[in-house]
Amino acid sequence: MPDHAIGTREEWQAARAELARLEAEQAELGQKVTEQRRQLPWVAVEKEYRFDTEDGKKTLAELFSGRSQLLAYNIMFGPDYELGACPGCTSLGDGLDGGLVHLNHRDVTLICFSRAPIDRLIAYKQRMGWQFPYVSTYGSDFPFDFGLALTPEQAQDVPEVKAMIDSPPAWLEEWSRQIGAELEDGLREGPGWIAFARENGTVYHTYTVMAPDPFVAPYHSFLLQRTPKAPSEEPRAWRKDEYPD
Amino acid sequence: MPEHRIATQEEWQAERDELLKEEKELTRRGDELARKRRELPWVAVEQAYRFETEAGAKTLADLFDGRSQLLVYHFMFGPPYETGCPVCSSIADTLDPQVAHLRARDATLLLASRAPLQKLLAFRARMGWAIEWVSSAGSDFNRDLGFLNTEEQLEPFLDGEIPPTVEQNARLCGTDAKGYVSERPGLSVFALSGGTIYRTYVTTARGLEPAMAYYGLLDRTPKGRDESATAPLWVRRHDEYEQNPDRADGA
Repeated sequence: MPDHAIGTREEWQAARAELARLEAEQAELGQKVTEQRRQLPWVAVEKEYRFDTEDGKKTLAELFSGRSQLLAYNIMFGPDYELGACPGCTSLGDGLDGGLVHLNHRDVTLICFSRAPIDRLIAYKQRMGWQFPYVSTYGSDFPFDFGLALTPEQAQDVPEVKAMIDSPPAWLEEWSRQIGAELEDGLREGPGWIAFARENGTVYHTYTVMAPDPFVAPYHSFLLQRTPKAPSEEPRAWRKDEYPD
Repeated sequence: MPEHRIATQEEWQAERDELLKEEKELTRRGDELARKRRELPWVAVEQAYRFETEAGAKTLADLFDGRSQLLVYHFMFGPPYETGCPVCSSIADTLDPQVAHLRARDATLLLASRAPLQKLLAFRARMGWAIEWVSSAGSDFNRDLGFLNTEEQLEPFLDGEIPPTVEQNARLCGTDAKGYVSERPGLSVFALSGGTIYRTYVTTARGLEPAMAYYGLLDRTPKGRDESATAPLWVRRHDEYEQNPDRADGA
């Protein structure tokens, strides 16, 4: 017998019905929070930013590719990362292409940013077989202005970051080896989502959410929240072509 | 000026901080729900189901492929369908790349449908997916799990006004409303322990919303899902959207 409560179909059905009620409640609450999110005010982006893309230099407005909404995930892949992007961000990236064409048809351009130079992003994108546009913020103030990256001084001023650099848990030391960068450099990149709107030629910043704050989880976490085994306590992740077995 | 409220960076930050509290609470409750899901009792699966797969006939236990957890997405593709459901197709678009990551967590993810295997595999090739797809044709798997609607169950629905989205999806699948809604979408989860299979979790309808990864992303954009209760659904198979000649990516 497994080390788990076994029920009859009727017992399971009753427990499942109660859970379904809680799940529906959660969906309602989620909708409410989404509504609140859309009511956040917009902030006009006054500064001119230029990015390196696969198709040359582009402004923030040009990254919209003619649509009115831009949604970007900032993959932790800084200029100091010798071995590639953060494996956790990479597995999140693996989940983006499936939604790409559907979002494009909802007036949303979906891209990823990273701070490493564009040639390294292009090589990594090829390795992972990704389709989404991958844009480099190398040499731009953009990631610092929008809280997507920290300067070395800022990193020392954030107690959580400083604590992780000074006494890293084993999984974080391994992460540092996976990316090929010292933690003090690796942890200066911030994983998160950022959204912009474009209207009458002006770009507005509408929303940002950064890990460990909510909603910065790979798509498969939705499935793992529904499997019988408990998730691992440690946020270890692997690139899809580097799993140990 | 846009119709939307414009603010300074400081005003935005203050409101954003307020929202973050709500977002964190939602996440906390989501984690608690995940724990409650795992506390559901398991139910032993007594029936012997057989599936047609690319590697020949297999039992439900075989489908675990040596792992202890199995996730089955019940893809709406019944025997009268010519092609798979567009919404299920958009879900499969996002499930397909997850297989490798789930394997690494001792979980096998696959699609199951009632149409004959050859139809499923031909459609899979068209859509460019690599995910395993098995046919439950000739087995009571879908009926027993509640993913097959009987004629009696469908009668009240078919007697009423058929929603435009159902009409549209039925047409896109090459069948009629009755043929289309005979199949139900869902996600079933099983555990294999000591040679016995247990059913651990199931969800359908609104519970599948997180499987549509694009909805979670649209929820972060300024316009949101931008859907109306009366307009037919906008989702198409990824190769059937109208091409936009004005954009480099055609979308």
